[in-house]
Amino acid sequence: MDFELTKEQQARRQMFFDACKALEPKKPATMIGTETIFTLDECWEFHLYCAKEFAKKNWLALGWPPEYGGIGDAMDRVFFAEARGYYGIPGVDVFGVGMLAPTLLAAASEEIKREFLPPIAKAEVMWCELWSEPNAGSDLAVLSTTAIRKGDEYIINGQKTWNTGANRADWGFGVFKTDPTGRKHHNLTFILLDMKTPGITVRPIPYMYRESPFCEVYFDDVHVPAKNIVGQENGGWAVVNVLAGFERSGMGEVAAMDRILEEVVKFLNETNRGGKPLAKDPVIRNRIAQIACELEAARTLSYRIADLQNRNEMALMDASAAKVFYSELGERFAFTMMDILGPSGLIKFSKWAPMQGHWERAVQDCFVTTISMGTNEIQRNIIAWYGLGLPRMK
Amino acid sequence: MDLRFTEAQEILRKMARDFLATECPKSLVREVEQSPKGYSPELWRKMAELGWMGLVIPEQYDGMGYTFQDLTVLVEEIGRNILPGPFICTVTSTFPVMEAGTEKQKREFLPKIAKGDLILTTALLEAEGTLSATGVTVSANARGDSFVINGSKMFVEMAHVADYMVCVARTKSGADPEKGVSLFLVDAKAPGIKCEVMPTIADDKLCEVRFDNVSVPKDNLLGKLDEGWPIVKNFLRKGAIIKCAESVGAMQVCVEMTVAYSKERVQYDRPIGAFQALQHIMADMWTAMQTSRYLVYKAAWMESVGMPCEKEASMAKSFVNEAYKNIAKWAVRLHGAIGVTYDHDISLYYRRSKSADAAFGGTDFHREIVAQQIGLV
Repeated sequence: MDFELTKEQQARRQMFFDACKALEPKKPATMIGTETIFTLDECWEFHLYCAKEFAKKNWLALGWPPEYGGIGDAMDRVFFAEARGYYGIPGVDVFGVGMLAPTLLAAASEEIKREFLPPIAKAEVMWCELWSEPNAGSDLAVLSTTAIRKGDEYIINGQKTWNTGANRADWGFGVFKTDPTGRKHHNLTFILLDMKTPGITVRPIPYMYRESPFCEVYFDDVHVPAKNIVGQENGGWAVVNVLAGFERSGMGEVAAMDRILEEVVKFLNETNRGGKPLAKDPVIRNRIAQIACELEAARTLSYRIADLQNRNEMALMDASAAKVFYSELGERFAFTMMDILGPSGLIKFSKWAPMQGHWERAVQDCFVTTISMGTNEIQRNIIAWYGLGLPRMK
Repeated sequence: MDLRFTEAQEILRKMARDFLATECPKSLVREVEQSPKGYSPELWRKMAELGWMGLVIPEQYDGMGYTFQDLTVLVEEIGRNILPGPFICTVTSTFPVMEAGTEKQKREFLPKIAKGDLILTTALLEAEGTLSATGVTVSANARGDSFVINGSKMFVEMAHVADYMVCVARTKSGADPEKGVSLFLVDAKAPGIKCEVMPTIADDKLCEVRFDNVSVPKDNLLGKLDEGWPIVKNFLRKGAIIKCAESVGAMQVCVEMTVAYSKERVQYDRPIGAFQALQHIMADMWTAMQTSRYLVYKAAWMESVGMPCEKEASMAKSFVNEAYKNIAKWAVRLHGAIGVTYDHDISLYYRRSKSADAAFGGTDFHREIVAQQIGLV
């Protein structure tokens, strides 16, 4: 057993870190956490700028097969996520690059791959997902938005919700009911659509801090070319499972917490209370040390997943465990810091806020990782059912 | 990066698992923990024949010359079976001998340890139970060709059956408690030593050892006079990782037993494992076990290749302490009333989760090391 990266891997990892470090000075001061790219114009602009920079290096196609213009391998994706996480650099469309591209590679027709992959790699098209509906969240298969085939088009009617960045995206992908009388899991189709198509209305939903990282999307007789599907008509559930099966290492999230922990240590060392640094308080030392230990545990589990992925081995159970663990660590970290900061932790980004208001934001944004991408409760089901072999809920 | 066990490690693991499954059933664990000796000499001999006590001892001293990481692979299997006896205290006490021993000391002690002919333990803690240097008050004073040791050590594992002890004693008092600590190889049967087994939660034979003018030849000073504390710190770090590996094996069994039981036990016309209230607890148990595992593997790897790993070892120990206690607690809870009985195996693990926590430093002790290592002033 060997945790050491090869010399070549170390060099590649350093290359990603250097590139992200170089972008850091251009980051807007208002960019706190990852959600601000959707809420603030200057952060979205920075996201697009970084995306173009990465596209020039072909880093949006890491791990893709060479015939579709891909370079690098699974470890490169991990290093790149780690570097971006550490420096808080956006530029990778989590929907287009992170979710759709691997889905297309695994499940789409040659024609669709040739049409949609290059604009993703070139950062020419930004995507959003059209997944959940008001009455279909974790139990996604009961969704009710219809896409009825008429000639060489689908006509879409209904509503999607919790669509992160839908107000910024050029295109959207999602599952729609194409056979309203069909059986559950056999009536859905995975469709790609231009968000500028007439009949689409995007309404931002205010998050608890009033800005809107996500939206609801209404469809009123929206005409979509019937060729723009992934997989078979009424075979969308299989594609959903392909997408849900992509195992994320969580390395980016861990690296982001690494960086913020370094800043926390600096803050605690430099901030006095009662005439001595906060870092001297034994309770604070203990609590921050606990966070540091848990962060190291999250990191080593991420390595484990990367190691499995690098050998093309299944990491389903570990990936679910890692998602539960790092996301809830994010909650604990934010809650702990709010305790330590006291009333000053309540202050938003402003001249009064400690650490640029990071924790006021983090304590609200922490739900993004615990609820999205399969809630942590669903992840626990996955561990229990597919990992431990416990009886499935009917 | 390759986080799989090597082929040799897989062989070692499989051999250990098969051997312990046959030779160390839970009936033996119960018999041994109730026996005055606290170990099975027959089993000890068989382990010695497999070379386990000498696994990391270099071949020139009749050991197997395996790596530290290999040892953690074996110890994980020992943890699975909660093998009672002086294995952990002997192998961890061997580290200071290998690290600081003179050639003569190594030639005298290591081959005997490797053969299973010498049980070794470490006398470090005293009544206060602190692992900081301030806790070392047992004194050793030079007199002629000897040192004379006086005072009382506590929590000395298996001292009542040990042949030798590594005794950590104060040889000089001063402002800095870490200066003036020395280590001695002490014959456990030397005149003036009184040893009593303390009754403890895991029946792991922690002893009080009283030293009353115990004379130790100067040749048995281990390392340099007054400069023993760095050796103690290395011993604690390596021991913490070894204890973590043992706990990982035990945690794995706690999860396996609980999942298996929840599939068999029927209530409300279905196995209780079908209830999500229990499924999510078991998912969390598995997650805690798996996060612990790779944390420990990383620390063990770093120690094995000689990288500084004080931070990683302390991170692992403080995390594993909490994980093992929680997993064992939930394992008992999910077994219901049968889980709290002496005759059910799960309670054997629960009791050991508490003693594993205390050994080589509790959670807060290691968190303070982590606090320093991450740069808190």
